[in-house]
Amino acid sequence: MFGAGAMTNSIPEIRDTDMMFVIGSNTTEAHPIIAMEMKRARRRGAKLVVADPRRIWLAEQADLHLQLRPGTDVWLINAIMHVILAEGLEDREFIARHTEGIDELRAVVERYTPEEAERITGVPAEDIRTTARWYATTRKAGIYYTLGITEHTHGTDNVFSLANLVLLTGHLGVPSAGLNPLRGQNNVQGANDAGASPIYYPGYQRVDDPEARARFEAEWGVPLDPTPGRTLPRMMEAVCDGDIKGLFIMGEDIVLSEPNVGKLEQGLNNAEFIVVQDIFMNETCRFADVVLPAACFAEKDGVFTNSDRRVQRVRKAVDPPGQARPDWEILCDIARAAGYPMPHYQGPAEIYAEMARLSPKFAGISHPRIETEGGLQWPCPEPTHPGTRFLHEGGPIIGRSRFRPAEYRPSREQPDAEYPLVLSTGRTLYHYNAATQTRRESGPVLKQPTNFVEVSPRDARKLGLTDGERVHVCSRRGTVHATVMISRRMRPGCIWMPLHFSEDRANLLTTEAGDSVTGTAEYKVCAARIERITDPAHTEDDGGARAAR
Amino acid sequence: MTSFTIEIDGRPVQARPGDTVLELARGQGIDIPTLCHDPRLEPAGCCRSCLVEIEGQRRLQPACTWKATPGLKVSTRSERIERHRRVLMSLYLADHPVDADGRPPESPDGNALRHLTEGMPLLDLDRIDSPRAGRPDDDNPYIRFDPARCILCARCTRYCDEVEAVNAIALTERGGATTIGTIGMTGLLHTSCELCGGCIDTCPTGALSEKKNADLDLAAAEVTRTTCNFCGVGCQVDLHVLDGRVVRVTSPPPGTTVNDGNLCVKGRFAFDFIHSEDRLTEPLVRGEDGRLHPTTWQDAIEKTAAGLLGVKRRHGPGSLGFISSSRCTGEENYLVQKLARAAFGTNDCHQCAAT
Ligand code: SF4
Ligand code: SF4
Ligand code: FES
Repeated sequence: MFGAGAMTNSIPEIRDTDMMFVIGSNTTEAHPIIAMEMKRARRRGAKLVVADPRRIWLAEQADLHLQLRPGTDVWLINAIMHVILAEGLEDREFIARHTEGIDELRAVVERYTPEEAERITGVPAEDIRTTARWYATTRKAGIYYTLGITEHTHGTDNVFSLANLVLLTGHLGVPSAGLNPLRGQNNVQGANDAGASPIYYPGYQRVDDPEARARFEAEWGVPLDPTPGRTLPRMMEAVCDGDIKGLFIMGEDIVLSEPNVGKLEQGLNNAEFIVVQDIFMNETCRFADVVLPAACFAEKDGVFTNSDRRVQRVRKAVDPPGQARPDWEILCDIARAAGYPMPHYQGPAEIYAEMARLSPKFAGISHPRIETEGGLQWPCPEPTHPGTRFLHEGGPIIGRSRFRPAEYRPSREQPDAEYPLVLSTGRTLYHYNAATQTRRESGPVLKQPTNFVEVSPRDARKLGLTDGERVHVCSRRGTVHATVMISRRMRPGCIWMPLHFSEDRANLLTTEAGDSVTGTAEYKVCAARIERITDPAHTEDDGGARAAR
Repeated sequence: MTSFTIEIDGRPVQARPGDTVLELARGQGIDIPTLCHDPRLEPAGCCRSCLVEIEGQRRLQPACTWKATPGLKVSTRSERIERHRRVLMSLYLADHPVDADGRPPESPDGNALRHLTEGMPLLDLDRIDSPRAGRPDDDNPYIRFDPARCILCARCTRYCDEVEAVNAIALTERGGATTIGTIGMTGLLHTSCELCGGCIDTCPTGALSEKKNADLDLAAAEVTRTTCNFCGVGCQVDLHVLDGRVVRVTSPPPGTTVNDGNLCVKGRFAFDFIHSEDRLTEPLVRGEDGRLHPTTWQDAIEKTAAGLLGVKRRHGPGSLGFISSSRCTGEENYLVQKLARAAFGTNDCHQCAAT
């Protein structure tokens, strides 16, 4: 929206911020080291507002916790903008110089009054006003968000709304401010940067831009397809529909990570050819025709790009086990076996150099430079450029930014009589994705051995649940086991489950209903219910206790 | 902010309000010994090892807490300071285990007491051996506390409070029995501890140490600087390798990388997976019997290429999908998209970043 999909500011700037608006990010668990910076800012006296349906740890530390109903983010953010405009707190100069479309925004947020917002989001109108005033009147005020914002059918609207808020108040191009998506995985940013995207070549150059395409065709020596491809969620649909019949999967366990996985498994069964390249035998290997053993991060060279656009080295410390090989070597071999003359690269430094040559954004970055200077933050267009700590200094990169007002749309799946609870899924501190790594580690296993579901005390009472009891959690798509964890963090009516456990896959429950633009699935809202397991022996034991309740 | 000049050991030094004498001296390359100081923490001024002479002050003052003011004159070296340090270190050693050579035992990150008393003529004091309690039954898998080596600098408890902000550990008991405790002296797993290991990292003597590699000769390990492979913070980590195995992960020193000396439980401790028995070690292809069988790389690569080309020939390039990984390197992601686009003619290539 301002021209780059990355943190506008830097992680080390957080400690100097004067206000943090953290929305849809359980930072202490998902990004512990960023949370440390936030805690540090807190100790210095920075204000902290946390918007999250759960009373997460950071919320306990916050000046204000906006405990909104899941999926009502657009309402909340629009109401904050309503207050800012109503009270004349917007940054008029910034708006006049760097934006367009303020009148359209005004027309939309007009209707989002704090009082009405309180009814829809459950957040007190006064708290919305306070947040608006703090945010608008603090210069170094940063917004931090993650999957709690994007994993919705209206995820793009959520991001646009936040961007509107940043533009409205001129929090762009200022240190310790900006709009900061925190990336969930080590190299999400780097994979995007490198063009692992259906729309972009490396360096965010569109595949349907003839000039960019010509450059890649010249370097790669083949004609390229000018039509954008399908996003991962669309590809998964195509697998289910039988349109995609061959899959190459590197380093992912889609059978664990994708939503509504029951349906996907049928599609995979019908596919003709599937290759999985990974470090462990994962769930998706059940469907694979070929499984290729890869090296892990400690066994190869390369770069990862972190959330603040910092390109840093990965260095080989040990040999891969057995015959396992670095992914890059395997990929080159496959290309050549398929008849494409992939160059015989000496190593990742040379591969990076090819990418940098093709991508103005990283043209100044190279392995030798990182070796001597440490991590470099893009944009870094020339070998003498120092890299960029925060973006948009002196105005948005793309010139004027247009406000993209978003109207609230309810989440696709709403609770009803049969499935009365709202289930959200996410990560915990101790595990990581499919947990193939962390469940081989004693600490995380001792802390969180099995799947659990967090339930508010009120819902637990209503359903007669006891802490530690095993239950079924059901949605329209499936049922999984979980241990009840009664938790004051939860809003009544809402439950939460981690996505790490392969034997009780939360994604058997989730819906693949996706965001209309990105296709990102609504992992954060699906209708569910909890059923007690009526094992006869068990019932006899505590039957008396239950009858008494 | 207006800067001003102070004098350290006769040298003029530019200072700004809020700067401490210790920071300014170190900025000049002047070495002042410290034990309780950690740049990530508020200065505590409790170990007394950094005392210096400040003009106009009758008593020696801690450099780590003393704030610079215009015209301040400091000396970091003098008879008096020497004498103070000798007495102080001798007192510390009387309450600290010593090796056969009479010196404090080494620890993986260096025992600061051993380092600071190197070549120092010490006083011959009676041993004190304070009755500090440990938690020998603490069943947490990572963090060991040896109360005998603790010098009560409170770096660990302050780290746990100020940086990690969970307050799992605190100074408990009184007088000579003062120790690092938990509520009810339970094991760390039963506290708010998040197993970040920052307390080990900041401990200057090795009183806190790692259980996972306790019996190994860590000094002999080769160290490789790399980037953590878990979340998107991009912490820099040092992998310590012994006999071809990663045995320990530490952070580069505070102030040098994006993580400022800190790591979380995953980055610091979750490395056993690297050498897990369950790693895939050979290429596999599915046979007629429907099972996966080991094969050669050449066969696996040929089957991969032939399989994907076969689908493309039968159904067109739109029937292929390439899923790349946000876990792999930038170069590998570059190659996957190049493979999809240049070798197989499709833009249907995306990383799995939704989660
Ligand atoms: S490991 Fe971290 S959380 Fe646990 S006691 Fe040490 S500093 Fe505190
Ligand atoms: S050490 Fe922890 S916080 Fe740092 S990158 Fe690794 S997982 Fe993230
Ligand atoms: S370092 Fe100054 S008193 Fe401990």
